[in-house]
Amino acid sequence: MKISEEGVFKWVVIVGAVVAFLVAVTLLTRPLVGAILLLLFVIAGCVHAYRWAVRKRRESRN
Amino acid sequence: MESATVTAGHGHGEHHGPPEANQSSRIDRQTLGILLFIISEVMVFGAFFASYFFLRVVVNPSHWPPEPYELPVAVAGLNTAILVSSSFTVHYALESIRRGNRTGMKLGLLLTWMLGATFLFIQVNEYAHIGFSARDLAFGTIFYSLTGLHGAHVFVGLLLLSFATIRAFRGHFGPEAKDHLGVEVPGIYWHFVDIMWLIVFLTVYVL
Repeated sequence: MKISEEGVFKWVVIVGAVVAFLVAVTLLTRPLVGAILLLLFVIAGCVHAYRWAVRKRRESRN
Repeated sequence: MESATVTAGHGHGEHHGPPEANQSSRIDRQTLGILLFIISEVMVFGAFFASYFFLRVVVNPSHWPPEPYELPVAVAGLNTAILVSSSFTVHYALESIRRGNRTGMKLGLLLTWMLGATFLFIQVNEYAHIGFSARDLAFGTIFYSLTGLHGAHVFVGLLLLSFATIRAFRGHFGPEAKDHLGVEVPGIYWHFVDIMWLIVFLTVYVL
């Protein structure tokens, strides 16, 4: 397993796009809507991180 | 006969000298180090975010930010654009050295350093004109704690970038992966600082 700058940069772009979307939604609606969407994105991020970790662990065992 | 051959072969490749350091076969040292570092940093920021959301959700004051305080959202938005663009320049610096373009790497590192310094300068200027201090209510304390913690990380990132830039101008680094770790590691750290700012900006200034 290797962490490269390219991989982290990809996440800067993804988080940047998500934050831009949340800022737009919050400014167009209410802060509560933005907070709920942020919570959903955080949960989705945690699920993605967990699945990534399980996949990497399985790969390293094989 | 077969076992004798195997024994002889094993004896030929025998390791001499001190025993090799114990290392996990699943993850290399550099990756483990940076993973543990980033996880610990996420926990530090997580503690501050927990305090922030405790104040906002559990204490639940009638106004946020409390009157008469106001946060300079436009200035912070400009600062966000500056920091995000610095991630692109550090990525450009690394892509350049991967292709053997030293001038591009120097330009990318220099631009990144300048953008980071501009971000820090604007943040210090914001503190000077914002109209409240860390002693003004829990709001002031958590605002300065979160943005200050991030500012401290930017400062450390600038130090790392300074070393990388000086080394780049002295002719260090090469296209091989092992020859530009001194740019790649500060680059990863800088991206992490950038991602944390995006979350700080969203929670503190926008939500």
